Amino acid sequence: MELNEKQKHMLLGDRGHGVRKAMEILVAYGDCYGARRMIPVTSVHMAGNFPVLMDEGIEWLEDLARDGTQVSVFTTKNPEMYDFEQVESLHIPTIYQIRQKRIHEALKALGLVLTYSCHHYLVGNVPRFGDHIAWASSGSQVFANSVIGARSNRDGDHVALAAAITGVIPEWGMHLDENRKGGMVIDVSRLPMDTYGPADYKALGWHLGKLVGTHIPVVINLPKDIHIEGIKGLLYTLTVTGAAGLVHLVGITPEAPTLAAAFAGSPPQTPDVVPSQRDVDKAFLEISSSSEEKIDMVIFGCPQCSIQEVQEIASLLDGRTVHPDTKLWICTSRWVKTLCERMGLLERLGASGARVLCDMGAADGPHLYLREQGVRVIAINSARGSYYAHNLFGMDTWFGSTEDCIRSAVSGKWEGRK
Amino acid sequence: MMRLRAKPVMKGVAQGEAIVSRMPISFTGGMDPDTGKIREPGHDLEGQSVAGKILVFPTGKGSTTGSWQFYAAFKRGNAPKGIINANAEGVVAVSAIITATPMVHQLEKDPLSCIRTGDYVTIDADNGIVEIQKRTAERGC
Repeated sequence: MELNEKQKHMLLGDRGHGVRKAMEILVAYGDCYGARRMIPVTSVHMAGNFPVLMDEGIEWLEDLARDGTQVSVFTTKNPEMYDFEQVESLHIPTIYQIRQKRIHEALKALGLVLTYSCHHYLVGNVPRFGDHIAWASSGSQVFANSVIGARSNRDGDHVALAAAITGVIPEWGMHLDENRKGGMVIDVSRLPMDTYGPADYKALGWHLGKLVGTHIPVVINLPKDIHIEGIKGLLYTLTVTGAAGLVHLVGITPEAPTLAAAFAGSPPQTPDVVPSQRDVDKAFLEISSSSEEKIDMVIFGCPQCSIQEVQEIASLLDGRTVHPDTKLWICTSRWVKTLCERMGLLERLGASGARVLCDMGAADGPHLYLREQGVRVIAINSARGSYYAHNLFGMDTWFGSTEDCIRSAVSGKWEGRK
Repeated sequence: MMRLRAKPVMKGVAQGEAIVSRMPISFTGGMDPDTGKIREPGHDLEGQSVAGKILVFPTGKGSTTGSWQFYAAFKRGNAPKGIINANAEGVVAVSAIITATPMVHQLEKDPLSCIRTGDYVTIDADNGIVEIQKRTAERGC
């Protein structure tokens, strides 16, 4: 790969051990994919928290920061394990507190913007159309490529951090025009779209992810008034069952105002995929992994709830009370929690027995200690959250709409589809 | 002894017994950092440990968090000491870089047909060479 003078000096260690390590990672990574040069990045997002990093990963971050190495690009961070202001009331074991504190200090030393949020594009990390970025979180990566039109590969944390430190990324894959052409048409015209809510879009995404393989899907005939939560539901779920980094939503994706634009002159050879409602219904049921009626917990926030979602939950819960044997948690960013407090939502939700927690998400971190606290069966309105809670932490999960989850929280039993 | 040219991913020299898989490997979920055993159901190395071996496989797959898992396995003494891929992909390449594990790919001949489990293999990634001493008298590739 061709490096400029500045990049060569970084590789030689002239800018310190952390910068050299970062450049070594990028050169090896770029060489694998035949990248010819490095290009500047404008935005970075790091994903891993303790269950992923483990003790050794914490040491790696501490070592990276030891000579004062810092990020040179605006870099945000995904959720951690728990709400930093609720350590006592959540009964967080000391062993996790010690580790969380070390992660926090290392990230602070490296100069990350400590959002602890996976809706980082709602709390200030907003690239523009055409920007080259490195977002290590497959859900938001596909959102950036498909909705914003920024360009990110499916980079892991080591690559994202290396890009944040050096300010550059190897030019390959999604960064190049020729790799962003649509490869498979998905026609949703046979589905009853006017009845679709976010949960239905998630079930559709679950089904489609399994079909797309390495193709870039091009979705046609989506309703013009599709809500952002529907778009997020579709995209975030597609990356769970499939590896799509970019989905052209014709009429929505900036590069795909029309079907022809999505193909950039070369229509795909594959036949169109035309999902039926029966496919989507089957996927809907597949997402749940539990068969037990009684639920221990309802958890929202994968990705973290937007203020609109919290408002919706609060309206659905008004005048009702969460079952005494069931917990209801709403996971969000500190930014949204602050809004909730200011708007009286914390009080309203609290009166019904629900809790708003921030700095954490509903998919991974909390399940580490929730399991130890006896939580086993959960209900969730996120297909992605269901998948990770079950596969990484062994939770039994029920998947349904927000309404299904609220009814279940009130009765203490699963009230949705099964 | 057979000598093959290869493209270095991470420099350094490693030698040891080869363990060969014909299937892609995911370090997240696919390899236990506490034992070095491949634990993906149905994998051709399922139940076998790659710790301290020269691991030969086509390419990586799966979650990008795999490099954290590999790093933990390395620190716990359960990682392979060298890696040969047919074609490297990002997660495995980054894993090798952060652990200084010698690694090569794109050999002049297919490593999956030239190397058998149990062969004694030397990766000289500084010079881009792989040396193979066959365990049995079978003809080379």
